[in-house]
Amino acid sequence: MRNWKFAVNSAFFGKRRDRFTEYQPDRTLGEKFKLAKQIKGIDGIEMKYPLDLKDIASAKRLLEESGLACPAVNVDIKDAAFFRYGALSARSKEARDRAISLLREGMDIAAELKAGLVTTCPLADGYDYPFQTDYPSLWERFIESIKEVVSYRKDVKLSLEFQPHEPHAKIILSNVGKVLHVCAEVGLPNLGANLDIGHSFAAGESPAESAALLASKNRLFYIHTNDNTGEGGDWDMISGTVHFWHWLELLYTLDRVGYEGWFGGDITSKHIGPVEAYDTNTRMIQRMVKLLNRMGTNKIAELVKKDGNTAEMFDYLSQCLVEKL
Amino acid sequence: MNKLAIITAFLGAVKNRYMVYQEDRSLEEKFLMASKVEGIDGLELCYPADFDDPKKLKELLKKYNFGVSAINFRSRRTGKWWRGSFTSESMSERQDFIDEVKKTMDAAGELGCNRITTCPLNDGSDYLFEMDYIKAYDDAAETFSAACAHNRQVRVCIEYKESDPRARCLFGNAGETASFCQLVGADNLGVTLDIGHAIYTGERPAQSAVSLAKAKRLFYVHLNDNDGRWDWDMLPGAYHMWEFIELFYYLRQLGYNDDWYAFDVFPKETDTVNTFKSVVMLTRKLEDLTDRIDRKEMESLLEKRNPTKTIPYLYSLL
Repeated sequence: MRNWKFAVNSAFFGKRRDRFTEYQPDRTLGEKFKLAKQIKGIDGIEMKYPLDLKDIASAKRLLEESGLACPAVNVDIKDAAFFRYGALSARSKEARDRAISLLREGMDIAAELKAGLVTTCPLADGYDYPFQTDYPSLWERFIESIKEVVSYRKDVKLSLEFQPHEPHAKIILSNVGKVLHVCAEVGLPNLGANLDIGHSFAAGESPAESAALLASKNRLFYIHTNDNTGEGGDWDMISGTVHFWHWLELLYTLDRVGYEGWFGGDITSKHIGPVEAYDTNTRMIQRMVKLLNRMGTNKIAELVKKDGNTAEMFDYLSQCLVEKL
Repeated sequence: MNKLAIITAFLGAVKNRYMVYQEDRSLEEKFLMASKVEGIDGLELCYPADFDDPKKLKELLKKYNFGVSAINFRSRRTGKWWRGSFTSESMSERQDFIDEVKKTMDAAGELGCNRITTCPLNDGSDYLFEMDYIKAYDDAAETFSAACAHNRQVRVCIEYKESDPRARCLFGNAGETASFCQLVGADNLGVTLDIGHAIYTGERPAQSAVSLAKAKRLFYVHLNDNDGRWDWDMLPGAYHMWEFIELFYYLRQLGYNDDWYAFDVFPKETDTVNTFKSVVMLTRKLEDLTDRIDRKEMESLLEKRNPTKTIPYLYSLL
């Protein structure tokens, strides 16, 4: 099994809220770096633009001082003050231009911070009700805007993070298939996906399959690790706490398809606090990797090629967990 | 005909994880907004938010001639009950919950609505092995039992919801909540059937209403809609038109027709007054469609249990 590098997400180290509750205090970027440094196994910090990257020079200094890398700049294009009726797909040219500019600025910052990658989750681009949206023109604008972003500079990649819903009942970039569709329509090699594992579960997918599909088209640029209950809620839970077997399958698949990117993390720490939450998340994944090493990926590969393999496969896998009964 | 109320919390700023919609408004501004919505008969008030000045509150109710459908007791507060209120590990926090509920019950008695409702969203868990369910239900039963004993004339309603902010709330569906009410055994403990929550948890609202009524626990109804994947608090009927018609058909039969419907609908991009105008119009329209169902005809169709006859009959009413 490969050794992947792990990063935290700066946005999850400050104040978080849901509809009903607020968790954790506001923290400065410096404080976030300090916390990230306390976590064993963390080599990087994904930073949010504009939130955490208003002062690039100081971010650069923090990276140098801490020895952490920046695997991706996460550009926020959902600010309701500008994107109430969409960002990249908005009817308003002003809103679209603003979203495009933000992403281009993010690309420049990503180059400066040696991240080489921008990631964005286009959550403002969605709708709630039937007959609320003219789908053909909406999609046309969405793809055109993305074209304008990625053609801005070839040396920085853009990864799109799909999510089935929230804050709108329907987000247009809702699953892996739609990301691949956008990539095909845009047709540029520096456009790909940030596969958020929880979003993939929320969309009813098997993340391993989604990863394999994206990798087959050279579109798997980045991964956000987390888990959820699979009923649709994006709970940003610690990886493997719910979907243990799916997570093993995902890690096995990432190894087979040769994923060489980072493991970012989208973990909501709620009462636990970010250090403990990310520490556990990293350790859980590392242990699952270790477990796969014990199971032997070649052996799994051999079994997975057979039709009707379920009984044999789980007999083998479970034997590696506990002694044979 | 049921009267219509808006929950005051939905007349000010509403928020989700990412966005804040609308602006914060004072209680007086909320009354003013509600008064602009034709067909609204009253409000569901929120405790403690709306009770800073009870005298002023009474004046406003009089001034706008509004009834009170219920008082919504907030069991999630800033600075306390962080890990749950009636399921808190701390006995003093649970006692605090009981005291607060009693105060709310007193207020409900004083305002004459004799009903409080609470949606215990923060009482639940995210991870497996995070919460001792046995202890949680025991603590919950003890707490609600003590609160309900305070005044048997005031009905205490639990509004169930499957999740948010917990990945799994303690009371997730009609069955769990009815069973809990039976466990406590207080006649004044029952259920608020929130139609959006019922849909979100995979129920048929009409069936939930009947099942709760059979258990003598159908105390109150909240109306809103969603796509079945999340609690979007949308316009009634936007997604589940026929579910609402079936619900209204049975509510009438169950005798829930001289009571209140309260609305929790999220005014996002559209302004608050217009949102609730649509809500009222849609609710009355759905009731009107329901009234077109000939009871005798439907009874005979239900006897036949033949959807190829029933569904075309329903469409013939449009």
